Amino acid sequence: MAKPLDGIRVFDLTVAAVGPWATKLLGAMGADVIKVEAPGGDQLSHAVPPRIKGNSVLYISANHNKRMIELDLKQEADRAIALRILEKSDVFVNNMRPGAVERLGLGHEVVAKVNPRIIYVLASAYGRSGPMATEAGVDPTVQAFCGWCSITGPEHGRGEMFRHLAHIDLTTATTITQAVLEALIARERTGKGQRIEIEMLTAAMALQTTRLAEYFATSAQPRPLGSASPTTAPHQAFECADKQFVAIGVERDEQWPAFCRAMKLPELIADQRFASNPMRVRNRAALVEILEKRFKSKPAAWWMIRLTNEKVPNGPMMSFDQLRYHPQVRHNEHIVEIDTPHWGRLNVDGLPWQFSRTPAGPIRAGGKPGEHTAEVLAELGISHHPVGSSK
Amino acid sequence: MSTNGSLAGFRVVDLTEGICGPFSSMQLADAGAEVIKVEPPKGDYARQVGPPFVNGESAVFLSVNRNKKSVVLDYRREDQRSILRRLAATADIFLEDLGPGEAEQLGFGYSQLSGQNPRLVYCAISAFGEEGPLKDLPGSELVVQAMAEYTTSLGRIGDPPIRVGADVACINTGIFATQAILAALFHRERTGYGQRVAVSQFSSLLHLRGIMWHSMTDPDDWYGFHLDHYTNPPDYGYQAQDGALYFILRRGNTEDWDRLVLELGMEHVLADPRFADYGRQATSIGRYAPEVKQIWEDAFKGRSRDEIIALIKSIGGDAVPMMDYPSLLSHPQVEALNIIIEVPHPDGGTFKTVRPVARFTGAPETIMTAPPKLGQHTQEVLSTLNAGDD
Repeated sequence: MAKPLDGIRVFDLTVAAVGPWATKLLGAMGADVIKVEAPGGDQLSHAVPPRIKGNSVLYISANHNKRMIELDLKQEADRAIALRILEKSDVFVNNMRPGAVERLGLGHEVVAKVNPRIIYVLASAYGRSGPMATEAGVDPTVQAFCGWCSITGPEHGRGEMFRHLAHIDLTTATTITQAVLEALIARERTGKGQRIEIEMLTAAMALQTTRLAEYFATSAQPRPLGSASPTTAPHQAFECADKQFVAIGVERDEQWPAFCRAMKLPELIADQRFASNPMRVRNRAALVEILEKRFKSKPAAWWMIRLTNEKVPNGPMMSFDQLRYHPQVRHNEHIVEIDTPHWGRLNVDGLPWQFSRTPAGPIRAGGKPGEHTAEVLAELGISHHPVGSSK
Repeated sequence: MSTNGSLAGFRVVDLTEGICGPFSSMQLADAGAEVIKVEPPKGDYARQVGPPFVNGESAVFLSVNRNKKSVVLDYRREDQRSILRRLAATADIFLEDLGPGEAEQLGFGYSQLSGQNPRLVYCAISAFGEEGPLKDLPGSELVVQAMAEYTTSLGRIGDPPIRVGADVACINTGIFATQAILAALFHRERTGYGQRVAVSQFSSLLHLRGIMWHSMTDPDDWYGFHLDHYTNPPDYGYQAQDGALYFILRRGNTEDWDRLVLELGMEHVLADPRFADYGRQATSIGRYAPEVKQIWEDAFKGRSRDEIIALIKSIGGDAVPMMDYPSLLSHPQVEALNIIIEVPHPDGGTFKTVRPVARFTGAPETIMTAPPKLGQHTQEVLSTLNAGDD
């Protein structure tokens, strides 16, 4: 069956997670992604634990749906091969430290000269101008810098890191994928490629668009609120009689009376203090005091049944052991198991989109560094050249 | 909207409310598409999200609705539904988040709209997916975060849960929706065929934990940041005299490492195996980072944050201050990248927000127009519809 990016070739000169995850998504959409690594592979991602059968899961997970080739771009012969592949490519993605790709002789001018239709993406941590232009960054350092720890934490407590590292990496990656798709559409209309720049810092700030809006509106730092939403109420987790927490969210006005019915607190429906979302936000403390007491009177399951019956958003705090075999997760393939040649059967992330006419996937494991060098070069009609033989 | 952006000439009819769908359609608008925001008579509920309000408009609403037009249609009434169908016949992209089956019931599901408009790209956004036992459960930012186990990576085991402060269930999903729309649009430009695409908030957040699902398949050992984070304590960065910083030692040599240790008076760690390999396992995502954190903080006592950052950078490490919004927004790097832009407010003046992330050399700078007042463009848009299109 046709896939959205059939016939599109990606020259993937990426490291760690930001670049690789972006091209992995393009691969899932049907692009032929050729990941180019220095001999021995991308050292940074190979070094990160944990490992499965000796390979870093960072490397395994960020490189599905690709073919892996090795080129020693510091050697002129291999650089010439890279340019021949680039002639036949549609997209180039790089996320090395600013300046590195130019030093390898694959800067935009060079590549656009051999292929004016190329969509050339440079991703970096902090951009290519300004006082931090030459600095590298990784997920935790950008998390620290971009302000988002300052809005996350217990109420009245200190802001903290999101310990599931890579969220900023992958958010940046998805922004790259989106930009490539936009540029492909533009190219259909103009016939021309272009250069695109993306920074982790900007992607991380865009992810905070709504929270930064609060700051710009008030000039006051938004404080961490535990599980609570700052601009809708009630929208937080409550402890129940069985010590379990249930998350609830009343975001729309029509959910408020339904919520009051589910909680058996009908008197609140007409309570002027809580008559609209802005009123509930302003009177949050009074509202939470009532609700905390109420939730503690019955176990979580009781409240979840009643809230679900009233169509009020609610749910438990789940963890991987609950998610892994959850019928919703299995049915929709949010987590899928695939067989891989090197790492056995793996749990992998499912695809984030569904296409009725051009389904993406299935997810296919990438491979080890250089595994497809001979195959790819032969297919592109480039005479086989053992890596490093020009030394 | 920009008149010659990548998506100039494409029309989007957008029924979504809140943050998620509107963030997606705003990205299409930033790229030059004409986005017609169809609102029920009482308006997108995001107009009531807040305080804060800026000159009477919700700050959150303003931040995700620039460059759009607003048309009020009571599409739950049959006579207004036919207007919506006529409007959809003029669209390249249709976006809705009504929940599984609801649009079909109202008469504007994909199969009902594609007959008259086979080139249409139709995007449905749901909370938990369109099939499965939870398909009808409505979502909210926190509920989706909680069920996608995001709260397991914050706070302390046994303490009340903590959410990610940013609206990730909405904004990350909005990005995936935009991707799906663009991929389908690209396919259409090449083949002439539209299609229906779908994303869910649950699926989006679970996808972004993919490294974790791999890690927990059958790891060689149970350490590494993807696994340890479940049990690690909260991470506030490294405290210096006047604030916290975060750093990582990724590369090293003996000379640099010795200098760092000497300058910080940490000679005692040279014999500590946890600091082997130039300290790479002793910071950030290193295996021993949580347990040796106090050793670093003891060494940082009495030293300024800037002094330590400069020292770490001088030996090839990465180091940054842990920042809050005031310090971030006054940082010269944010200014150098022009990350913050001013957008017209619907009642005059401007408000500040984050610019589109990607910078395209081939496209002109986006011209920003004010988020619309409720129904501001109803007449303008509906007067162009032909009555006989239904």
